[in-house]
Amino acid sequence: MTEPRTCPSCGAAAPGESNFCEECGTALSADVLVSGAPTTPAPEAGESSPIEDMDSGPISSATTNHSATAAQESAAPVACASCGGSIGPDGYCEQCGVKALSPRDHFREQPAPWVAGVCDKGIRHHRNEDAMATSASPDGTARDRRAVLVVLDGVSNTDDSQVGSLAGAKAALAALTVPFPDGLGTDGSRVAAVTHVLTNAVKAAQAEVVAAATPEAANPASATFSAAVLEGDVVSFANVGDSRSYWLPDSSPGVQLSVDDSAAQGLIAAGMPRAEAESSPQAHAITKWLGQDSEEPTPTVGQLRITEPGWLLVCSDGLWNYASEPAQLVEQIRRTGTDDPAALALALTDYAYGQGGQDNITTVLARIPGPVLVHNADPTPTSKEQPHG
Amino acid sequence: MAEFVATVYQNEFLPDGGTDVNAIVTITCTGAGTAGQSATGTVGSSTAGEIIIVDTSGSMGHETMEGAKDAAQAALAEIVDGTRFAVIAGTDSAFLAYPLVQDGPALAVMDAQSREEASSAISQFRASGGTAIGSWLDLAGSVFASVPEVTQRHAILLTDGENGEQPARLDAAIQRATGYFQCDCRGAGTDWKVEELRRVAQALLGTVDIIPSPSEMREEFRTIMQTAMGRGVADAQLRVWSPQGAQVLFVRQVAPTVEDLSDRRTTVNPLTGGYPTGAWGDESRDYHVAVRLPAKAVGQEQLAARVQLALGDDVVTQGLVKATWSNDSELTAKIDKQVAHYTGQVELASMIQEGLAAKAAGDGATATTKLGRAVQLAAETGNAEATTRLRKVVDVDDEKEGTVRLKRTVDKADEMALDTASTKTTRIKK
Repeated sequence: MTEPRTCPSCGAAAPGESNFCEECGTALSADVLVSGAPTTPAPEAGESSPIEDMDSGPISSATTNHSATAAQESAAPVACASCGGSIGPDGYCEQCGVKALSPRDHFREQPAPWVAGVCDKGIRHHRNEDAMATSASPDGTARDRRAVLVVLDGVSNTDDSQVGSLAGAKAALAALTVPFPDGLGTDGSRVAAVTHVLTNAVKAAQAEVVAAATPEAANPASATFSAAVLEGDVVSFANVGDSRSYWLPDSSPGVQLSVDDSAAQGLIAAGMPRAEAESSPQAHAITKWLGQDSEEPTPTVGQLRITEPGWLLVCSDGLWNYASEPAQLVEQIRRTGTDDPAALALALTDYAYGQGGQDNITTVLARIPGPVLVHNADPTPTSKEQPHG
Repeated sequence: MAEFVATVYQNEFLPDGGTDVNAIVTITCTGAGTAGQSATGTVGSSTAGEIIIVDTSGSMGHETMEGAKDAAQAALAEIVDGTRFAVIAGTDSAFLAYPLVQDGPALAVMDAQSREEASSAISQFRASGGTAIGSWLDLAGSVFASVPEVTQRHAILLTDGENGEQPARLDAAIQRATGYFQCDCRGAGTDWKVEELRRVAQALLGTVDIIPSPSEMREEFRTIMQTAMGRGVADAQLRVWSPQGAQVLFVRQVAPTVEDLSDRRTTVNPLTGGYPTGAWGDESRDYHVAVRLPAKAVGQEQLAARVQLALGDDVVTQGLVKATWSNDSELTAKIDKQVAHYTGQVELASMIQEGLAAKAAGDGATATTKLGRAVQLAAETGNAEATTRLRKVVDVDDEKEGTVRLKRTVDKADEMALDTASTKTTRIKK
C-alpha cells in the first residue's frame, strides 16, 4: 500500500496507508464498495485455499456436521475486503463494519494462466453451497494441454450441502486428474473409456455428498454435478442436474454442452421455447442429483472437438439464470473484452450480482487459444455425442 | 460474578438509499451481589461509600424535619456493615454531622456502634438557615475523596426548597461531582424546583422524585438505600462503535427512565464512544441507539453499531446492530415494535415537561396541546402510570385524539409528581 494513489471519487491524492480519502471520505478501495461481489482478494501465496482446507470456512447456519466447527475457530484473522481493516471476532470489519466474507463464501482458483474460477455466495443466499475444483497444465497452447473444470451446486434446502458440494468437487477432480485411457484405440471404445472415467468421477463426488450428512438426517445433503475436461483439442463433459458446461467460440455460435436434468429441460424436450420453460414455476426442479436420496446417479456425457479459439465455461445456475442462451453469455464476454479467465470469471460474477444475485454463483473458465493438433483424417468437427442421454 | 447480556431489537432492513438505523439494546445484569464487596472479595474491606445529605434549612417545618430524620435513620439501617458512610446536614453551607472529624478519613465504617452514633447525630438536627445545594455536593465530594479506597460512591440528597445559590455556583458544583459520585435526589413537599433537582440527579446518574408527605419519607429512603446496596457492579461504561464514515445520531437510555446520553460521549477510540452508566444491580436497562450510514447497494449487509458494556477495559457483553439494504418493501417498511414504543415514550416525556413548563408560564394553549399529545401517547404506548398522573392535571375529553382541558385547580404535588415521573418509561410486553 505504498504506491501513490488517488481517490477514485474526488481525485485527491491519497498518500500513506489510509483506507479512506481524507478529502471526501470515499473508501480507497472504492471499486469494492460500489460493486458487489468480487470483493475478496484472491488467496495470497501461502494462504490455504478452501479447497485445501474445506472445514475451515465459517458455516453460518445450523449444521449437523460437527467436524466443521472445531477448525473454524483457529482460522487466521483476515483483512476486510472493503477497507483492509481487521475483522472482529463477531465476523464484521472493525473499521467499516462490512460483513466479512468467509473463505467458503467467496473463493477463487487459477491453476494456470488460462484456467480460472470464482465461486461466490451471491446476494440473497445466506451461505455458499456451490463448489468448484480445477486443475490445468501450465501452458494452454501446448499439445498436451489438459484442464479439469468441476462445479457442484449444493441444494439449498438440505443440511450441510456446502460441505458435501466442496468435498464432492474435490473428489471428482481427483478422479479426473489422470489422462483419459484410449480404450482399444477405436473412437467407440475411446468414448466408452472416457464415459467410464467421468462416471467414476460422479461416483466419487456422490460418495462425498452422501458422507456429508448423517444417515438419519432429515434433509440429507444433495448437489448437482457438472465437469468438463479438455485434453488436447477434445472436451469431454458430464453432468447430473442443472449445472452447465458451454463451449463459447470467439466467432461461431456458442453451444450448451450439458443437458439439464430439470423440469424445464423436460418441457423444452416436449417443444416449449427455452425462455418460457426456464421461467415456468417448476423450472428449477431438478430430476437428477447427487445425495443419499439418489441411487447411482448416471451422468449425461458427451465430447466435442475444438476447432477454433474460445471459452470453455462450467457454471452453476446462479450465473446461467441471467444468461441461459449461449449468445447471451457471449454478449457478456464480449462486453468484458478480456482474454484473462480470472478477470472474466469476476466480471461474470459481477454481472450475476447486477442481475440480482439470487443464488450462489460459480463460474469456471478455460481460455482456449485454438486447436493444437492437426486432424487430417477428420476434417469435420466431431459433433456432440451423448451415449447416456 | 455479575453477568451481563445484551439483546438487540431492530429492523435491520433499509430501503434502497436508506441511511438511518435504529435499535433498542437491552442490557441485563444478573448476579451483581452487594455494593462494595464483589470487587475485592474480602469481607470487611468494602469499597462502597454512602453519604446521606439532609436539608436542615429553616424552611423544613417541624413535621418535615422529623420525617427527614426518621428517613435518614431508616437509610442507615439499610447500609451493609463494612460500608464506608457519612451524614451531611445542609443549610447555607454544609456540615459533616457524622463522623465528627476535623481532618483525615471522613467516612466511618458501618457497624452497630457507628450506626448508633450516626443515628443519634441525626436526631440532633434542628431546622434553620438557607439552602445551598452546591456546597452540599462539594462537601460530599471532599468526604468521598478523603478515603481513596472507596471507589463506588453514592449519595442520597433530600431537600425541601429552592436552591439559594447563584445558578452558576450550583452548576459548577454539579460539574465537579459529575463522574465522581452518583446521587439520588428527593424533594419534600412542594416548595422545591423539579427542574433544579432533576439537573442534579441526571448529571449524577441518579433518580429524582417528590415525597409529598413526611410520612412517606421513611419508606422512600429505605428503598433508595436498598437499591444502592444491591449494586454490586461499581461502575460500567456503555460503548457504541460505529463504522468509519457513519454518524451516531443519538444514544439514549430509554428504560427504566429516559436519559439522553449523547452529550456525555467520551472517546474510547476514533470509532467508539463511551457513555457513563454508573453502578449496576440486578436489573435491565434499555438503550436506543440511532446511527446514520452511507447508503449501500441493495443486498449489501453491514454492521451499523456494536453496542457494548465495559467494566474498566473489559467488554462484558456486546449487541450487534445491523443494516441490510433491500428492495422488499414488506421488510423495509416495518418499524421495530421496541423502537416505536420507546420513540413514543421519549416524546411522551418531552410533551409532559414542555406542557407543564408552558402551563407554569401561563401559556394555556400550548400547555393544552402538549399535555393532550401526552395523554394520547401515554394511551398508545400503554403507560398507565403516566395516564393516571396526567388525569390529575387535565380533564380528558378524548384520549385517542388527545383532546384535553386544563383542570382549574390542580394539587401542586400532583403536578410535580407528573413532572418528576415524566422520564419513567414502561416496557413493552416482550
